[in-house]
Amino acid sequence: MTTAPQQTPVASAQQRLSPKMTVAHGMEIPLEFSSAEIEHKRKVNLGVCDVSCFPRFGVKGRNVVQWLQENKVDIPEPNSWVQQGESLVLRLGNGEFLVEDQFEGKLCAALDEAVMPEAYGVYKIRRNDAALMLSGSHVQELFSEICAIDLRDGALLPGKLVMTQMAGISATVLRQKFNGEDVFRIWCDGTYGSYLWDTLLEIAEESGGGAVGLSCYYKEML
Amino acid sequence: MKLLKCPVNGERPLSEFVFGGEVREMPDPNTCSDQEWAAYVHYRNGAPGMKKEWWYHGPSGTWFIAERDTMLDEVARTYLYGQEEKQ
Repeated sequence: MTTAPQQTPVASAQQRLSPKMTVAHGMEIPLEFSSAEIEHKRKVNLGVCDVSCFPRFGVKGRNVVQWLQENKVDIPEPNSWVQQGESLVLRLGNGEFLVEDQFEGKLCAALDEAVMPEAYGVYKIRRNDAALMLSGSHVQELFSEICAIDLRDGALLPGKLVMTQMAGISATVLRQKFNGEDVFRIWCDGTYGSYLWDTLLEIAEESGGGAVGLSCYYKEML
Repeated sequence: MKLLKCPVNGERPLSEFVFGGEVREMPDPNTCSDQEWAAYVHYRNGAPGMKKEWWYHGPSGTWFIAERDTMLDEVARTYLYGQEEKQ
């Protein structure tokens, strides 16, 4: 029996753009919205890419730090993140973690299979985030329109993450190097994914940016 | 823009927070009198002054306590429940 791929939480907003789709990690995700040349121009100005297909693992609880250490996970400071291999480990506050594998990472699968004793004070959290990637020279202008927090280089220090509201919804934001490029990552509840996608695109298009597919970051997928 | 300091996330716009009511000690329902229980359930102290209040930072899901002068609307300090002494 084969299983139908999942849809990205942003699917309904992306349909009108008729993207070329691919399946990554069991999720249908836009590979290209337009030609490589147009998408490159968008990315240089303000590219918005849907990366909701990356596997994620959420966990929280009283003993979560100890449990993660037992499973050989690097522990960042509260409201910080670390890169472990090809996985991101985000510490959301004191006792909650979000782990995300970026294509070749295997940490989420390992944690998902790890033994979690009952009454241990550790609880898995099912994540259904819309996960986006933003890059380009106009990205700070976009943030100034939808966010009250200063996310410029001097304010959002490397390794730090911010949980705040963007365009009125709760989101987690950080800055990372992705395939050698500076990008901003945003995670929000999947049910708000289409709303956030439309809002970001509306602003991005004013700056000569727009939707870009995964192929902008993963040439090998073409 | 009004700001409030979350003990975990730092200063944020007030729009990111939700007010959770005054911090009130619940009497033991098994041992307290009906009068004490009724007072706990129904009565609220509306007199202005320095109050301990529950506040919630939505984007991070953090509940904390703010000591706020409700006459002046000035927050003296904020801290996580049980960590009053650390502040």
